[in-house]
Amino acid sequence: MNAMINVARYHLVQPVLFVTLPLAMLAFLFAVNAARGGDTWRNGLAVIFLYFFIMGVQRAGGRWLPFGLALGVTRRSFYAGTALLGVSMSFVYGLVIAGLQAIERATGGWGLSITFFRVPYLLNGPWYATWLTSFVGLSALFVYGMWYGIVNRRWGMLGLLAFVAVQVPAGIAVAFARTWSGVGGPHPSLSALGLTGVVAALTVAILAGGHATIRRATV
Amino acid sequence: MPEMAGLDEGGPLFAQVAERLAGEIAAGGLAEGERVPSTNELAAFYRINPATAAKGINVLADEGLLEKRRGIGMFVATGARATLLARRRAEFTERYVLPLLTEATRLGIDPGELIALIRESSSERGGVAV
Amino acid sequence: MTPAISVTGLTRRYYDEVALDDVSLTVGAGTITGLLGRNGAGKTTLLRILAGQEFPSSGSVRVFGAAPAENEDVLRRLVLVREDQVYPDFKVCHALRAASFCYPNWDAGLASSLLKDYGVRAGKAIKGLSRGQRSALGITIGLAARAEVTLFDEPYAGLDAVARQVFYDRLLADFAAFPRTVLLSTHLIDEAAALFENVVVIDRGRVVLDAAADGLRGMATTVSGPVLAVDSFTAGRPVWERRGLGSQASVVMVGQVSGEDREQARSLGLDLTPLSLQQLVVRASGQSAAADSLTERTRA
Repeated sequence: MNAMINVARYHLVQPVLFVTLPLAMLAFLFAVNAARGGDTWRNGLAVIFLYFFIMGVQRAGGRWLPFGLALGVTRRSFYAGTALLGVSMSFVYGLVIAGLQAIERATGGWGLSITFFRVPYLLNGPWYATWLTSFVGLSALFVYGMWYGIVNRRWGMLGLLAFVAVQVPAGIAVAFARTWSGVGGPHPSLSALGLTGVVAALTVAILAGGHATIRRATV
Repeated sequence: MPEMAGLDEGGPLFAQVAERLAGEIAAGGLAEGERVPSTNELAAFYRINPATAAKGINVLADEGLLEKRRGIGMFVATGARATLLARRRAEFTERYVLPLLTEATRLGIDPGELIALIRESSSERGGVAV
Repeated sequence: MTPAISVTGLTRRYYDEVALDDVSLTVGAGTITGLLGRNGAGKTTLLRILAGQEFPSSGSVRVFGAAPAENEDVLRRLVLVREDQVYPDFKVCHALRAASFCYPNWDAGLASSLLKDYGVRAGKAIKGLSRGQRSALGITIGLAARAEVTLFDEPYAGLDAVARQVFYDRLLADFAAFPRTVLLSTHLIDEAAALFENVVVIDRGRVVLDAAADGLRGMATTVSGPVLAVDSFTAGRPVWERRGLGSQASVVMVGQVSGEDREQARSLGLDLTPLSLQQLVVRASGQSAAADSLTERTRA
């Protein structure tokens, strides 16, 4: 437990990248959306989710791992601590998104009919649903990114390609089994909360996979 | 190689450390009852491993030339200087007299000439003890 | 007393080569041991396995009696300073802060004093440091961690002779004040020779020499002078090498040189120069016969 907390503190030695930057990014995207006006760019929020994925890749597969190992942190603790930090960040940012969404609703789209924090189907329900979906979604992307980072660390570019290749059939199957009308379109029989549950289960599976992969990583 | 204040690679360092301490005692630089530098002080001075310095001290302690006072350190034992001087006197013949004779013979200087040379040099020095 | 480090039959294979081949050695607690050998001999691999950063192919590795890989209890008491250490996008002070979380004995005062000695500013970004300054940072972390087992893998890249001497002096001083087990890998043997209590020489993945440093000193001597005198002096004694040029000869003779030997040499007009630890190690690396005879003699 102590080791995990040390890992979290280690990542937060420079809080800027983990805390300030996503907030700044959110503000920037929002400003862009506001400037363009109204309905035109609904998927701005998706960039934050993408950023969590990238953070996962960097934090697990980047230079934090070699120095961490040099300081006597075990791979297990490093993985758990990093994942814990990502999940905690997701928890907080989920609240931020839910909070801003509430304000957006209350002000009628910031007085300009903007729907930046309201994403049809996915983030359109009560605040707690928005929070939960954001929390789970950000967490999933973070640990998914972690896995990519670790695969790259262990097996390089070839490993990454193989990793992606293995997932392609699964991806096709999922797309085939659903009917989307663009990203965020409604699924015939799965509510947003149901989808959140599925993603949560996937997250657990990804955590197990990433953990198994890091166990024999060398730097 | 860092100058180890005169230690060299010719033999075990601990033996050289012991030699030097003994030399200091014999020459009177370290008086009887005086504290000998600690292991760490010697190690820092010679830039060597403290264990090596400790071994050197132990050699002298085993020979009864140094005594340990608990909690304070190593001190020169009574009679240490006398013991060392006696030892060196015994070695003197082997170390200095015999080689002197060998060299003198090589150069064709007979014992009589040798004694005269010694007397000459001694008076030139004015009998000053080295 | 349990040795701090105990390695038995350690082998590490990669696809196309064997980095370590059946290596066995022990390192006693509270000693400074030199890990010597040529570049590529396997010293780095050994140290990385001891630090849990690499995994053995076979054999056993024990630090404080337990395998170090993925073992928090061991790794908390161990630090490895690598020549090619990678850091995140940190400033120097960030790296020190991170180290302070992980090492219970961390001494911040020692760290800042060492940085000052080396002229490295705490606020500087690590990627902007010169090679020597990076090495200084590594040394700082290694010493200030005050870890019970401290491993150094050629930690002085880019440091000039003066800076290296600062390292040796600081290492010795802190070791004297806070004893720990130190394993220092280097190919600059003569500089560090006086620090070592023991030396282990690795060549092509195998241990070729494992002896007390003081036991090795004076083990072999170069005898040079007129050919006839050299031959008469060295008659009947084991010899490693013989060279001649005209009426002069130079022979490397094995065995301790006594006081009488010295007098005899002087009277014959011969010059005696003992082989330095570095020269002895070079020999051991190249010729296992020489190494065997050295090990035999120091055990006797």
